[in-house]
Amino acid sequence: MGGLRTAGDLVGWMQIVRKMKINEAKQYVAKKLGVDVIDLTNEEVIRSVREDLGIGVVTSVAGSPKGIRAKIKIAELLDIHINSVDLFLSQVR
Amino acid sequence: MSDEIFAAAIEAIEKGDAEKAAEIVRLGLDRGIDGMELLNKGFVPGINKVGDLFGEGRLFLPELMMSATAMQKVTDLLNAGFPEGKMKTRGKVLLGTVEGDLHDIGKTIVAALFKANGFEVLDLGRDVSVKRFIEEAENFGADIIGTSALLTTTMTVQKELQEELKRSGLKDKYKTMVGGAPVTRRWADRIGADAYAEDAGEGVRKALELLKK
Amino acid sequence: MMYGHKYALLSKKQKKKQKNKSFVGVQGAVFQKSPLAAGGNNMSDKIFIRMGDGERVKLSTAEIKEDISVGTMDAARRGRIPEMTPEEQEQLFEILADPARVVGVSPGEEVIVTDDGCSMSFYSGQDGGGVGIPMSRLQAILTYERACGADTTSMGHSDYSYKPVKPIINFEMNEYYTCSMMTTVPFFYGAQPNMGLYFQPDGPCPDPAELLLTGKIKEARQSQEEACAHLRKDLVFVGKKLAGVGCEGLNFDTCGSAGDADFLAALLALRELRREIPQMPVIMGSSGEFVIGMHGEVTFDGQRLAGMYPHEQVKVVEAAGAGIYGMAVNTNTGKSTAWNLSRAVTFCKAAVEAAQIPVHVNVGMGVGGVPMMEQPPIDSVSRVSKSLVQIGKADGL
Repeated sequence: MGGLRTAGDLVGWMQIVRKMKINEAKQYVAKKLGVDVIDLTNEEVIRSVREDLGIGVVTSVAGSPKGIRAKIKIAELLDIHINSVDLFLSQVR
Repeated sequence: MSDEIFAAAIEAIEKGDAEKAAEIVRLGLDRGIDGMELLNKGFVPGINKVGDLFGEGRLFLPELMMSATAMQKVTDLLNAGFPEGKMKTRGKVLLGTVEGDLHDIGKTIVAALFKANGFEVLDLGRDVSVKRFIEEAENFGADIIGTSALLTTTMTVQKELQEELKRSGLKDKYKTMVGGAPVTRRWADRIGADAYAEDAGEGVRKALELLKK
Repeated sequence: MMYGHKYALLSKKQKKKQKNKSFVGVQGAVFQKSPLAAGGNNMSDKIFIRMGDGERVKLSTAEIKEDISVGTMDAARRGRIPEMTPEEQEQLFEILADPARVVGVSPGEEVIVTDDGCSMSFYSGQDGGGVGIPMSRLQAILTYERACGADTTSMGHSDYSYKPVKPIINFEMNEYYTCSMMTTVPFFYGAQPNMGLYFQPDGPCPDPAELLLTGKIKEARQSQEEACAHLRKDLVFVGKKLAGVGCEGLNFDTCGSAGDADFLAALLALRELRREIPQMPVIMGSSGEFVIGMHGEVTFDGQRLAGMYPHEQVKVVEAAGAGIYGMAVNTNTGKSTAWNLSRAVTFCKAAVEAAQIPVHVNVGMGVGGVPMMEQPPIDSVSRVSKSLVQIGKADGL
């Protein structure tokens, strides 16, 4: 789907964590992002959505969230548990 | 009446029941059925059916081996009743996975199906060097040398075997067959192997064709 | 291409002739039908297609349609599942006959791609399908995530088996933890159960291949049962250790490569891990279109595993607790992509219909209809991907 370029990673999280089939996963993510399903792979729409939500963009923007910082936001946004995030938060809180 | 016996022969092989198969041989011969006819209309269709079921995942390796054992018993019994030489094995096949390659499940399946189809098989296992393939083929008196490779990095050993056979003047003495996941007919053609087989069932068919030539 | 306004200028006779060779698209645009879409089969209608070994050949429309029909029948007979409908077969034909070098699904139909060791291809050699760039694992993972736009990524031992991970588990835990702090997309630890490594001379159990060939069936089965127990223990050990450093997901890849007992070990380990560490998802992929019966009698939840086809495999994988099931369909190198892909789509459709969990189809070298060659041709890979998603309804690749 395009990973960080689009919303591919987010749909991936829903399939893996909640065992959602592709259409259900896309609808869930689209709702959380406030976009239409067809725009999940629309770079022009998703780029700014990702920037605004702080969930990581594909290019390297100095100081913007990537890695575990972005994953904390992703877990909150999608309302899921991500093992690495849970561990990280348990270490910093 | 003969048809019933042929059907029973097929069933005995399919079930891998060696005792039942032997009983059918005796019964068929007692009733005046020609041994070769008994084999070709009963037991051979039986083992072919077993091969097909195995290829479709409907029958499994232990059962295939039981069928092979039953088939061996049948051929031994029939052999005893034939004039010498008439019922000799279908050919001697030397098998092995090439040096550097530790995958031997596919090759084991090939060995089992060859045995089931009346070939005399010597399985050298895995990680077999070119030198050993040739030495063992000479000692065994092989008709066919079959090599398996599961890796793109080890299939080159199949080519080395061809080159070594040529160098040692043995290329025409043996038929060579190649198989394994990354191996294709075009690879076989490229290295000068006599045949390529997609799976064990095709291996048996190709071997029979090779030995007719 | 002939656009609407030009079409309007044609005489009735010309329009009729044109209609037979064309179709009207959106906004009145008129497109030329490809020769194959017109259904002809003379020499000029020949279509480029790959064989299962990658060779590019030209086949007629009739030949390709025949291969599609025979392929779906073969899959249906073997799996005891429905064939593709005539409409689906026509759809598959259209995808295969598309004159473009690369094809793709329409916007909105995209699916995710799960990684099964792709980042390793950056630094590994030929045996891993790799290009041998001297870079670290972290660099490879991040390159795959950010430069390639990967939906998911992963890391694994170079041998890509779980057994050798055990003695270096602390090393792997450190690497995983470091990488997981940097990655944003789902990041798995993946490898193959590879039960073959538990047989002599590599492991403690007698080689069942040798035992079977000498008729020692009981002993061969016993040896596989022992190896299964060892493998299960190791899979759980590695899984638990990685979970302790925040593993986001475990991938049991190519399960059943050493037969049904190998598949069983993965299922048992999967169930145990899910029960004890529910926050760590596990995905499980198969090694072939049916589970090879090296043992023949092992069961999971009372069901014999040997001989299970994808639509049956997915149910046990699902019952064990997997997040995603990865299916594999063997490519026959002597048959065309039409035949191979037709089978793959037929198996895929049945598995997806049976599944409650997402089904991802393996589209690597020599599986899923992709030709068996080190550099799978992009024309084939893109046609395979599109067909499996559009017709097979795959949830991912």
